[in-house]
Amino acid sequence: MGSDATTTAIDRGLDADLAADLAATSFTLAKRFAAGATMWSIAPGWEPHALHIAVEFIHPVIVGKRALPAVAITGPDVVDVVRVSVRPGDIVVAVSGADDPQVRSVMQRSRAWGVTTVWIGSGERPKAGMADHILWLGDPDPRVPATGGFVLFYHLLWELTHVCFEHPGLLKERDVCTDEVCVTCSDEGRLGEVLAATADGMASVRTANGVETVATTLVDPVAAGELLLVHAGTAISRVEEEAVR
Amino acid sequence: MTDEPTNFLYPFIDAQEDDPKSLLADLAASAQAKAAESVSLRRSTLDANAELIASAAAEMARRFSGGGRLFTFGNGGSCTDCTTLARLFAQPPLGNPLPAWSLTADQAIMTALGNDVGFELVFARQLIARGQAGDIAIAMSTSGSSANVMAALKEARRRGMYTVGFAGYDGGAFAKSPDVDACFVVRSQSVHRIQESQALLGYRLWLAVHDQMATHQVEAL
Repeated sequence: MGSDATTTAIDRGLDADLAADLAATSFTLAKRFAAGATMWSIAPGWEPHALHIAVEFIHPVIVGKRALPAVAITGPDVVDVVRVSVRPGDIVVAVSGADDPQVRSVMQRSRAWGVTTVWIGSGERPKAGMADHILWLGDPDPRVPATGGFVLFYHLLWELTHVCFEHPGLLKERDVCTDEVCVTCSDEGRLGEVLAATADGMASVRTANGVETVATTLVDPVAAGELLLVHAGTAISRVEEEAVR
Repeated sequence: MTDEPTNFLYPFIDAQEDDPKSLLADLAASAQAKAAESVSLRRSTLDANAELIASAAAEMARRFSGGGRLFTFGNGGSCTDCTTLARLFAQPPLGNPLPAWSLTADQAIMTALGNDVGFELVFARQLIARGQAGDIAIAMSTSGSSANVMAALKEARRRGMYTVGFAGYDGGAFAKSPDVDACFVVRSQSVHRIQESQALLGYRLWLAVHDQMATHQVEAL
């Protein structure tokens, strides 16, 4: 058992790209918190990281910094617990490898739940777009999660998020798309998660805008938990799901 | 002018601030500076504790080989970091598993003890029930002085366990206590930077324990 991984771990500074990713992620977190978000942390396989993130934000080590709503979700049924916990505008921070089936499912479904996602990990990187923000160490050594590198990441997220709170003018919500014929949304449709099986060609679907009743005649039959692309009140196609529902 | 590079110095002057460019540049620079500080502290901490890692790992390896078990404990972020360490010993991604547990893992026990006998004894009482001569205790604390952690180290020592303390600042009470056999001090004033170095110290200790055990096996052949 060599110590190559730790040599990398000690000498690994932050390159400019990673520093910019951390800056952008912290700015997003601050905007979401300012708008009332709760942050949910998950880390299947390395659950203490989820717990550390939550305690960091809810009980700051620096006296006088505000407590922010942050909750760790641990245990076997991560997807189900995140689904029932999150509200539109919330944040999910995951710590895991790119191949973790539960995290992949949460990341995908977060678009239907209207949730902003941050994914921290190491090894093979998730495909761009699988999360809103990806903070990654390329080192493939499976022991990296125990070397403190992720701890540095979420410490920096906490420190920088609080810097952003000193800039209230930048944290105001703007350009929120609620228009049904918005050019940004209309071409692609929006992701929806079926809440209940179809009845009479209609189904109740959860999207980032809330619960909608949509026509499912193009894709019937559909069952609870399945993912659909919703456009103008109609489910226009199914979306292939990540492994775990 | 919202893109003046010095605007970030005067955050409250412009509540109508609407261009995040300079803030983002400042955040990125700050992230790099803090990461550099973290790297430098991790390096100096490992250098300063190289001999202690070797001697503590030798004693831990001797105890594990004789059937000893490891118990870790701490509060808050230190609780999660010592749980990561216990997990690394018990369920390593590479190498052989060794018996190790975090004393904060069971909410029923934590709340029962906290409620009935007081928070100061939440770890010590578990060691009274489980700890034996030949076992190992690892305590993590940034202050090095938490009362419940000190009480548990004292109990561990009384039971013949080998006691390891991870502290920050100047080592706090750990550094002065006769109940701590091996005291690792991360010399920093920042709780965040201390925890980052403690995580790496724990990892290196785990690596060194396995190196020692592999050496003993070869010698025994």
